[in-house]
Amino acid sequence: MPVPGLILLAGVLAVPLAALWALRWAASHGELGHGDRAALLPFDEEEPVGTATDQILNRPAKP
Amino acid sequence: MNYGPLLFLGILFTLASSWFGLVLMPNRQLGALVANTSTNDAGAVVVYPQARSGQAQQGAELYRSLGCIYCHSQQVRPEGFGADIARGWGKRRSVSRDYIYEPTVMLGTSRTGPDLTNIGERQSSAEWHLTHLYDPRITSKGSIMPPHPFLFEKRRIGAGGASTNALKLSGAFAVAAGFEVVPRPEARQLVEYLRSLKTSFDLPEAHLPKKESGDDANAKAAK
Amino acid sequence: MSAPAKPLSALMPGDVSDEHAKRALLAEIDASCRVPLLFFFVSALAWLLVGTALALVSSIKLHDPAFLAECPWLTFGRVRPAHLNAVIYGWASQTGIGVTLWLMCRLCRVPFVAPGLATVAALFWNLGLSVGIVGILAGDSTSIEWLELPRYATPILFFSYALIAVWGVITFRLRRERHLYVSQWYLLAALLWFPWLYATAQILLVLEPARGVVQGAVNWWFAHNVLGLWFTPIGLGAIYYFIPKVIGRPIHSYYLSVLGFWSLALFYNWNGLHHLIGGPLPAWMITVSIVASVMMLIPVITVAINHHFTMRGHFGKLKHSPTLRFVVFGAVCYTLTSLQGVANSLRGYSEIVHFTHHTVAHAHLGVYGFFTMVMFGAMYYILPRITGREWPSLGLVSLHFWACAIGLALYVGPLSIGGILQGLAMNDATKPFADVVAGTLPYLKLRTVAGLLLGLGHVAFVANLVWMLCRVFGPYRQPVVDLITGNESPAAVGK
Repeated sequence: MPVPGLILLAGVLAVPLAALWALRWAASHGELGHGDRAALLPFDEEEPVGTATDQILNRPAKP
Repeated sequence: MNYGPLLFLGILFTLASSWFGLVLMPNRQLGALVANTSTNDAGAVVVYPQARSGQAQQGAELYRSLGCIYCHSQQVRPEGFGADIARGWGKRRSVSRDYIYEPTVMLGTSRTGPDLTNIGERQSSAEWHLTHLYDPRITSKGSIMPPHPFLFEKRRIGAGGASTNALKLSGAFAVAAGFEVVPRPEARQLVEYLRSLKTSFDLPEAHLPKKESGDDANAKAAK
Repeated sequence: MSAPAKPLSALMPGDVSDEHAKRALLAEIDASCRVPLLFFFVSALAWLLVGTALALVSSIKLHDPAFLAECPWLTFGRVRPAHLNAVIYGWASQTGIGVTLWLMCRLCRVPFVAPGLATVAALFWNLGLSVGIVGILAGDSTSIEWLELPRYATPILFFSYALIAVWGVITFRLRRERHLYVSQWYLLAALLWFPWLYATAQILLVLEPARGVVQGAVNWWFAHNVLGLWFTPIGLGAIYYFIPKVIGRPIHSYYLSVLGFWSLALFYNWNGLHHLIGGPLPAWMITVSIVASVMMLIPVITVAINHHFTMRGHFGKLKHSPTLRFVVFGAVCYTLTSLQGVANSLRGYSEIVHFTHHTVAHAHLGVYGFFTMVMFGAMYYILPRITGREWPSLGLVSLHFWACAIGLALYVGPLSIGGILQGLAMNDATKPFADVVAGTLPYLKLRTVAGLLLGLGHVAFVANLVWMLCRVFGPYRQPVVDLITGNESPAAVGK
């Protein structure tokens, strides 16, 4: 097999292996955890979950 | 994904993969293509493709500047895929080698107008091209191509009589009596470029159809 | 789930633990964004109007070629790329950058750092683009699709972008919220991908052009990725923030969003060469792009499911929130345009629709239906908060939405069908080319009508914004918080 072919093959093998290693590293370092809490990040105590915002159209006239 | 490192690596790695595959690999595979040298039946050496001559190259710059690419492609799809060859836009499919000397490769993605890969052979008359550029509807009824009056000079006929270069205009397109329309140098350059667009050359990776390349067949038989 | 769940307050940075400070944080962040964001948004809208005018001129020229034909600056082949660059780099990129900066501030929980830096960046971006668009009209277009800006304009844009990147790094480093939300992955990815794409294309196509059809490969790797790795992540990042934020409910599945992000990152960047199906490139390059295009079904369906289930039970809020209307409209268009894109990438279908107006309709469904509509929605949310003034006319808001929604449907629907018919006719060699052209005329005329409707929507939006800005600079009229939140929830009472 010519040298460029070997380099290509090595690259094709190395890339998924590196990806798998990164995934394992991430899992063991807590990178994949806290998902459900991360989903709460757009909210805070000022505008907690359950607070709809931007409700300006088609409102009944203010008393 | 709570912290940055995995994210950053992933972002860089994903784009690197296609940069490798769709930028670097094409460059490796096609970046060193050279012209094809063959001998025609008369024994003369034919080198194809060749770099464009001065005036035609100036025309290519105008083609780029005027944005002809937005309506005209320059690629013939293979036989049986679309009707490119059946419409006579080319005698064979376009291949990578056809484009190696193009400073800007203008393959195009739109055929609001017809493909121009082989226009130099399909329509070789400079007069037709000039008239067509001045107002496409003179030569092609129903065309929606924009006229290019700015490539021409409308002037009063001088004492020496009408110019031999003046366009022959009649009917609805005629200019007022005593006036004539003559092409500016830009119009001539653009036409030279269009007339230089010819791809009817036999290549090892894309042969011309048999009846067109009968000479080649004879040469093979002789061997 | 290695760490035990903590209450949300534990996620808050220490220096805003004080109750009073917390309550003021959103307002403080919003106010800090005012000057740079207004600069980006107002100039983006100016480019939108310029781009719309150029679009109308190009559209009219296609069915009335004698229109404005005397002037070389206004010939179709220059007005069309000027339109594309005005809307892509003037409108879409600038509004996208504006929305990105705001979302980064909010999600990193830091007030806008170095507003002067971002304002200078906006200034140079507009300078570079103005030089470039005039250059295109004057005849210096490169005629490389999506990269038409002449070579003397791009260094100015690069300088501007470098400033924005520096800003992004500083904000990211200073963030007071360690955890990253979905939107931030998309935004960070977009900020990193775009300069890489643009620099590669600029070098290999304009500065040191690659040989032959390598240019075609690089061109479409770049052009498709401007859509896929620049606009799409910003648009999706905005959707992932605004839908939950407006309806007050977290995203349906955080894990689906992880899958959606990584599958998009893996597959989208390989898509570009499906623009060259049948073209003079080796089959493997085109095939690998077709495979990747089909794989796009994974991120697209994942995101669609996730957004749909987030919205479930809250569709009634579409009636009240302009932001939600535009953003949900955009999300639906994202699904539609992506599915259409998958179909377009298949060889059999591409044989028909490649080279036709179908592609133009598809591009508008993506850049307009999806991205532009999401950005409109985001601006409806952001502008009142950074200026401290409510939208003066709700009638104009409705006019904007309906003119754009109907205009887009009128644009994309008929032109898609017209494109298919055009392709079928073109593939029938017995049909004279003049007949093919004549067949497209009704659709091209309808497109001009659709463009007028879109233009009407843009004018309504700009009028509303100008009115709002007059209030900002004029006398104090009415407090904004009362109107904009309009919460049903008792949590917001008394704000």
